[in-house]
Amino acid sequence: MISTGTTTTAGKPSGGVASRRAVGDSAQASLAAVDRVVAIASGKGGVGKSTTAVNIAYALADKGLAVGLLDADIFGPSIPLMTARVEPVVYPKHSTNPVQPPQLGGVKVISIAMFQTRQQANILRGPMAAAVIRQFLGQVAWGKLDYLIIDYPPGTSDIQLTLSQAVALSGAVLVTTPQDVALRDVEKALSLFATTSVPVLGIVETMSSFICDGCQKEHHVFLSAGGEKLARKANVPLLGEIPLETNVVLTSDRGIPMVRQFPNSMSAVAYRKAVDQIEAQLTKVTAADDTMPNFHLVWQTQEGGQR
Amino acid sequence: MNAPREIAQHDDRTLKIVWDDGTARLYDVVYLRRNCPCAACAEQKSAAADKIQADDRVRPTEIRSVGRYALLIAFSDGHRTGIYSFETLRKFSGKL
Repeated sequence: MISTGTTTTAGKPSGGVASRRAVGDSAQASLAAVDRVVAIASGKGGVGKSTTAVNIAYALADKGLAVGLLDADIFGPSIPLMTARVEPVVYPKHSTNPVQPPQLGGVKVISIAMFQTRQQANILRGPMAAAVIRQFLGQVAWGKLDYLIIDYPPGTSDIQLTLSQAVALSGAVLVTTPQDVALRDVEKALSLFATTSVPVLGIVETMSSFICDGCQKEHHVFLSAGGEKLARKANVPLLGEIPLETNVVLTSDRGIPMVRQFPNSMSAVAYRKAVDQIEAQLTKVTAADDTMPNFHLVWQTQEGGQR
Repeated sequence: MNAPREIAQHDDRTLKIVWDDGTARLYDVVYLRRNCPCAACAEQKSAAADKIQADDRVRPTEIRSVGRYALLIAFSDGHRTGIYSFETLRKFSGKL
């Protein structure tokens, strides 16, 4: 081979180089037209990650942006229920064509729950779950998107690591409830993103208070302003404090996001405010971003080199 | 932050990384192969208390980014599981 110096490609991998795909290879091609990829994560389960992911996705779509929503929770997918898609997606077996994600209310949504009946449990070892995630990234026709929102599973394990490796995430939003026990877990998630150099855009605190449907008074059930404390500690903005409203639960279960069903509710207003802050934060971190995502270099060997 | 500003092939056997603080470092690719941080190599190293045996003629075939924090280097000996985080690379001397 004639040495021509370095060959680098940004954005798209060059074909025919490797016999096997490297980490992130297919995902880089499939996500080439996706402008921003945002993780919605927490260390702990049950804090309202999926509700937050759904409302952020639909609030962005309501701004006229092209949005995709990827449910990365393989073991407890709840996005389809919240977006009113519970029947399985029919897709051809043994096809190499990418899967077309269903458009639900103007948002492209994909979830493992779309490929199974509701009663099935996903009993998979870590590497298999990670393989599903790579397929969601690399073999789904996401097309041109302003935002791909990824609803993370709780914890810091295979799936979270795979996501951090396969995609150059634009940023992460951490979700927590106000109590200290949830905060301790979200600190682990903070450390995951620090290790993988993903900018944390801020904290969304859910269940901040309870809005009584009798008196409309705000009750701070958990007392401590944990989200604010954590934001200060991590030196990131508190993006929003979402109150607990009976309507939030009802809309989630009916498959209509709060921001669509009750756009004037306190939660919907808080979510829209959080979205404005997320966009502002992304603009800030993107401007300062000097990382080299989608870097690819093919090594040029001299005559006689071992190939 | 440990972020590279520039990654390039310096010569047949050397990878050059310019870091975001302006420092440039040259990495012997044979050194990189022998210091592979993957789980299998790490286990081999701790078990044998020795460096990974790799031929002096080993070269990368391709180098790719892994998310925002690392590089994956595929080598001519077929080994391609080493994910070299920028943090790790900054700690490497790069010389055999």
